[in-house]
Amino acid sequence: MLHPDELARRARQRVVELAARKAVHLGAALSMTDLLAVLYTRGLRYRPDRPDWPDRDLLVLSKGHGAYGLYAVLAELGVIEADLATLPGHPSDSVPGVEAATGALGHGLSLGCGMALGARLAGRDQRVVVVTGDGELDEGSNWEAAQFAAHHRLGNLVAVVDRNRLQQEGDTENVNALEPLADKWRAFGWRVAEADGHDTAAVTDALAGLRSGDGPAVLIAHTVKGKGVPFAEGDPAWHMGSLDAEQLRTALAALGAPAVPALAAARGDRP
Amino acid sequence: MTTTPPTMRTALAAALAEAVDADPALITLGADGQALFQGVMARHPRRYVDVGIAEANLVGVAAGLARSGLRPVAAAMAPFLVRRAYEQLRLDVCVPALPVVLLGVGGGLGYGPLGPTHHATDDITLMSALPHMSVHCPADAADAVSILRSVLSSGGPAYVRLSARQDPPLPAAASDGDPGTPRLLRDGDDVLLLATGRCVAEALAAADALAADGVDAAVASVTTLHPFPGDAVRALARRRALVVTAAESLGPGGLGDRTALTLGRDGPPLVRLETDHRYPPVASHEDLLHFYGVDSRGIRSAVLGRFTRNTRKA
Repeated sequence: MLHPDELARRARQRVVELAARKAVHLGAALSMTDLLAVLYTRGLRYRPDRPDWPDRDLLVLSKGHGAYGLYAVLAELGVIEADLATLPGHPSDSVPGVEAATGALGHGLSLGCGMALGARLAGRDQRVVVVTGDGELDEGSNWEAAQFAAHHRLGNLVAVVDRNRLQQEGDTENVNALEPLADKWRAFGWRVAEADGHDTAAVTDALAGLRSGDGPAVLIAHTVKGKGVPFAEGDPAWHMGSLDAEQLRTALAALGAPAVPALAAARGDRP
Repeated sequence: MTTTPPTMRTALAAALAEAVDADPALITLGADGQALFQGVMARHPRRYVDVGIAEANLVGVAAGLARSGLRPVAAAMAPFLVRRAYEQLRLDVCVPALPVVLLGVGGGLGYGPLGPTHHATDDITLMSALPHMSVHCPADAADAVSILRSVLSSGGPAYVRLSARQDPPLPAAASDGDPGTPRLLRDGDDVLLLATGRCVAEALAAADALAADGVDAAVASVTTLHPFPGDAVRALARRRALVVTAAESLGPGGLGDRTALTLGRDGPPLVRLETDHRYPPVASHEDLLHFYGVDSRGIRSAVLGRFTRNTRKA
């Protein structure tokens, strides 16, 4: 299995190459790449050679606009073989490895609650991880689900909040303040850990620390939107966008990627 | 001594308990309304989940349970189930065509004087717009049990509109046979009264009154609105000079709409009785049916306004 740092680097490369061909939610895909890399290599019981293995842990990408970040990781693992540009802009049931169709914000945690409860009722030792955005937590349905998960002591449910602090129109604290976010989860009855979401060792440890305990758990992962692409980092303008040839060259260089001979072709693909 | 017939809620409570007995994959969910699940709670307490007053989460959790291999039956008061959880219904349940059965208690005008917050004359319209959803509107408790058994075996998402209170008694034929096709409850040569849900009783009462007026009215009930039993409705309408539909629902996607599409321009004249957007008075269910013109008097008036001896000769 790849080291999560290398898996994340390759996945980011796929995302930026894709962004040279079509507009993608670049910032949201890149902020969670390290989190997904840790989850798929160390956090989840998962077999890339058998994505439909019945005993696998389940990952629901509630922040569905990050779809291409998920697809890129699954492509590196060999779960997805299709050209990412042909895949839907939000996770859909037709895509291999996608456990639940998402994209309207605030749905994933309820789905995860049902999956976690279903696993418990069936006597399956199965964990469900729901990756949410932070801006997404504005949606009230998340808090209906948070209350439900604590009430039912869903110890096999883990939420991972990609806390990149930016939603479409800017800083989450300016749009509709989320803080004190950890206290909110605690008040809802969740176990809480926080970590640097780009430090794969720290994320691995934090997830391991949340593994045992009573009731649901959340990892608030502090991340940078657009991580890995210097001109996009922390800039809400890169919530969604596409890269021109120069931007692609800069992004690939920052990712330590080899020069891409297909650069001209990529430029030619753009309308 | 008279026996009060069961309400839909009491009849379904027993039927759901039997269904949970029989199918280990069945799980039930409610939103702080447990009347339908009394039997399940008594016999299988782990197979009833109360999400509290949180309809969006109710539907999302039901979808997650379905994705984990279970077969959920989720119930809530119809106005809140349909309107508050609509996006979850569409995206989490219907687009992936998950086997979730949704029971909406008090659809239409069933909550009477509680007012428009609690009325759901839009439930049929909204549920009919969802992909893969089958939509059903039973007319009495026995019909509700019949349709429940049918949708539990069908595998796809289904919505069943239930009444909030006691339904008027109906002939046994109202729940006989396949709930997917209309039931002819009364034969008559002149006009066809086609009704669904609570309006079936109104159509039967209207037919009685029309007999005294010299009009021979047939009455058929339609429980399954989607997929609409078009061939059967076309056959019922044939040779009759007038068709009147009656439903406590808004027009789009409802009984009148579907009947109009089915009969087309070549069918007999059609009068559609359905609700509209007028603000309701504070009134009982029955009085609200009258206010919107979908009660027995409204049906009779619609027939007498269109049907004359000349119509019959034509």
